[in-house]
Amino acid sequence: MAENMSVVLNVNGSGRSVSVEPRKTLADAIREDLGLTGTHLGCEHGVCGACTILLDGEVVRSCLMLAVQADGAEITTIEGIADGDALHPMQSAFSEYHGLQCGFCTPGMILAGIDVVSRNPDPSPQEIREEMGGNICRCTGYQKIVESVQAAAAAMSAEGGSA
Amino acid sequence: MTTTQENRWIGVSAPRREDAPLIRGRGRYIADIEPAGTVHMAILRSPYAHARINGIDTAAAEAMDGVHCVLTAADLEGIGDFPTIWRLPGQKECTTPAFAPGKARYVGEPVAAVVADSRYLAEDALDLLDVDYEILDHVVDVEAALADGAPVINEDMGDNTIIEYTFPGINALGVAGDVEGAFEAADEIVSGRFKVGRYSGVALETRGHVAEWDDLRQTLTLHSGSQVASLLRTELAAALGIPETSVRILTPNIGGAFGNQWDRYPEDILVSLASMKLGRPVKWIEDRREALQATVHGREQLQEWQLAASTDGKVLGLKGRVLSDQGAHLHSVGIGPAWVTGAAAVNQYKIANYHCDVVGVATNKTPNSTFRGFGGPEAMFGIERMMDKTARRLGIDPAELRRRNMIQADEFPYFSPGGAVYDSGNYPAALEKALEAVEYDKVREEQQSLRDQGVYRGIGIASYIHVSGFGPSAILGILDYYTGGYEGSTVKIDPHGRATLYTGMIPMGQGTETTLAQVAADHLEIDIANVRVVWGDTDQTPYTGFGSAGSRSNVAAVAVIKAIEEIKAKAVRIGAGLLEADPDDVAYADGRISVKGAEEMRSLTLADVAQQAYWAHKLPEGDQPTLEATYVYDPANFTTACGTHVAVVDVDVDTGKIDWVKYVVVDDAGTIINPLLVEGQIHGALSNGLGGAMLEEFVYDEESGQLLSSTLMDYLVPSFTDLPDFEIHHLVTPSPHTEGGFKGMGEAGCFPAAGALANAVTDALSHLGVEADQTPVTPSRLWSLIDQAGG
Repeated sequence: MAENMSVVLNVNGSGRSVSVEPRKTLADAIREDLGLTGTHLGCEHGVCGACTILLDGEVVRSCLMLAVQADGAEITTIEGIADGDALHPMQSAFSEYHGLQCGFCTPGMILAGIDVVSRNPDPSPQEIREEMGGNICRCTGYQKIVESVQAAAAAMSAEGGSA
Repeated sequence: MTTTQENRWIGVSAPRREDAPLIRGRGRYIADIEPAGTVHMAILRSPYAHARINGIDTAAAEAMDGVHCVLTAADLEGIGDFPTIWRLPGQKECTTPAFAPGKARYVGEPVAAVVADSRYLAEDALDLLDVDYEILDHVVDVEAALADGAPVINEDMGDNTIIEYTFPGINALGVAGDVEGAFEAADEIVSGRFKVGRYSGVALETRGHVAEWDDLRQTLTLHSGSQVASLLRTELAAALGIPETSVRILTPNIGGAFGNQWDRYPEDILVSLASMKLGRPVKWIEDRREALQATVHGREQLQEWQLAASTDGKVLGLKGRVLSDQGAHLHSVGIGPAWVTGAAAVNQYKIANYHCDVVGVATNKTPNSTFRGFGGPEAMFGIERMMDKTARRLGIDPAELRRRNMIQADEFPYFSPGGAVYDSGNYPAALEKALEAVEYDKVREEQQSLRDQGVYRGIGIASYIHVSGFGPSAILGILDYYTGGYEGSTVKIDPHGRATLYTGMIPMGQGTETTLAQVAADHLEIDIANVRVVWGDTDQTPYTGFGSAGSRSNVAAVAVIKAIEEIKAKAVRIGAGLLEADPDDVAYADGRISVKGAEEMRSLTLADVAQQAYWAHKLPEGDQPTLEATYVYDPANFTTACGTHVAVVDVDVDTGKIDWVKYVVVDDAGTIINPLLVEGQIHGALSNGLGGAMLEEFVYDEESGQLLSSTLMDYLVPSFTDLPDFEIHHLVTPSPHTEGGFKGMGEAGCFPAAGALANAVTDALSHLGVEADQTPVTPSRLWSLIDQAGG
């Protein structure tokens, strides 16, 4: 077994140093070493998107990266998107529009939705379906997720406009 | 009783109380639970479809640093198997063992387990286990398994036929049809042979457990995603040989279950046994490949039907044979789903003359058991394809053929020759509403002109019944189903007038916590914020005979209503004493206890009465202190949800690709508790139904017996771009025999989906004579059919 390596992960705005086996996935490090269990594991082979995080601003599947590869990176997980008690508009919209049922895909969906809207502030339903095709939901049939992301996009535009 | 619009919660799209933690990433799923000192289990599974296990050398694994124990079949002395709880007459005995019993019977059957400091180390140690396998001939095709000379999978059964069960076509009143007479009198006899593909729930969260054995108190706490914690407690205690009073099952958030979590599994025993051996918490989380190999599969059937019809479009009789590919052994519910197929196949139609043989067959595949729909979607696929084939043969429009054969709204209760009693519904109205919504006549007209332009558009109708609210316990007894069908509910009013509701139901995403809170708040006529729902702890919650399912809320809701009726009656008795009035002159309304006609003057709040109930200084004679009630409701009958779906698709004849044009749902699930959540359930069940209709399939290689679709790259779950927007309309025919009029609906959406899709595809390709009789209708499968038809 290889020696553990020390890695600094800047997660949700704070730097955390962890000592991990080189083979440990970033997802496992986030869940086990940082205790941030909102990042879920649905397939561990990069298909389902439940482990989606934002890494240096990009959407990344944390099950497909090793923790040591993320040394020094800026990471945002589901736990880091609300502003204190104030939910991110994407979180509010998922609840209001019934964009979640069991909730297991939801952290990944919300982060993927934020990413879509960051690149396209006014996405059409078809654009949302295409852009979010890398995230699987087994409960909703997707329609209400599309509605949630559209509603969040509108809310984010309104918020951005007033800021 | 006077009511106001205030605090009426049934029929309201109340926000889900489940959401707040889930949208913040603060849900608590099995994998998130890790008590101090937890060690991790990994399981070695058979890489062969059929192989004798002559020995397992565990020495190297046991010697590895960080390994705590290795379990094999040799460690199972005194440990029992899980029973098959549905034991139909003539069914051969079959159980679910913790490890492959001397030989492995399917790829993925557990052979050994390792417990180590981390999951990484436990998986490393699996590589050090040396199993001496003697590979045996295997069979993965259901007809081949029945052929002479086929490898026998369970030697004690003698052959691969587990059960042959006949539906003789006698209804619940004892009236028998005359199926042979009907076929002799027929003008046309239409035949169909259908392969319903093997697929399953494939929840995004895989299965898992954390077991905590306390050797001082001799208690086992199992954190588990089981949908039916009560039954798991009963069966697990029996298997482990410990008192059931020592076992507590705690259920955290569940990341989807879809029926698969209804069953008991080998790992339930293994993780518990490991914890008892080691005296510390043991955790096992299934990985995705294990989930695809070792969580139960569903559906797979080979159906052969013959339908007798008159030229004027009357269905005179139906007879069939259903071969159910059960996989290597019966799992918790036996051939239950295939039995339901036989019971439901006459669907919404007045087919008095019916006969069906259902055969449960063993193959070297993963056990086929509980999955959302439970035999209903398979039945609807067969009969709805048969209706379309018949319509085409007779030259009658498929909508018109259905119209001519449907049970009418004034013919309930209807005694089906499948044995079920349909309680209520309006099938023709649902059909007409669906046709109107899809603009049927217009789409039919356009279809012709589009075809001239090379666009192959098809319209597929499929109607369904869903016999839900399973079921009156006495009927389960008649069916040799060894559990009860009741749900219990305890409601406690605290001294401040707030309610806590304890339910054996387990939310799996469908919003049960919210809907039961709505029912309680509505019947207590109090603010929903003052209702708490407690679930997921067998030490606190009522025993549930049947456990949680998407279509069980209706039964659980009645238990809540009945418990609340007792509370209200007691509150009236106590309130009457306080108000110095005759109890007959006092009523419960608007969350208050008041003298009738003097509500403004002589009235108490629920909290006033509750406080008195807890002080208990002046209770009516015979009443006990506090304000609580428990009611265990055993349903009087099944409820029958129903509806019609219409799919409109375009088929690309060059590629076999199916493009959505429209999908319309008309659904009747009786009284609706929460419209938004009902929509979500219909969408979700549809995605399960259409997934299996178009994409999802467990494919086995005949040569090797290997499961080929054992990653999500190969097993195709529908993605955002595979599914259409659904247009949903409701009819409301309340169930006549349940309080509240609710019917189960969490599964209904998947019932007609495959039939609607296959009928639409067949309709689109009618010029070629292509018949979509096998699911999933994948592009490659469809392209082959088009190619064979010369298209």
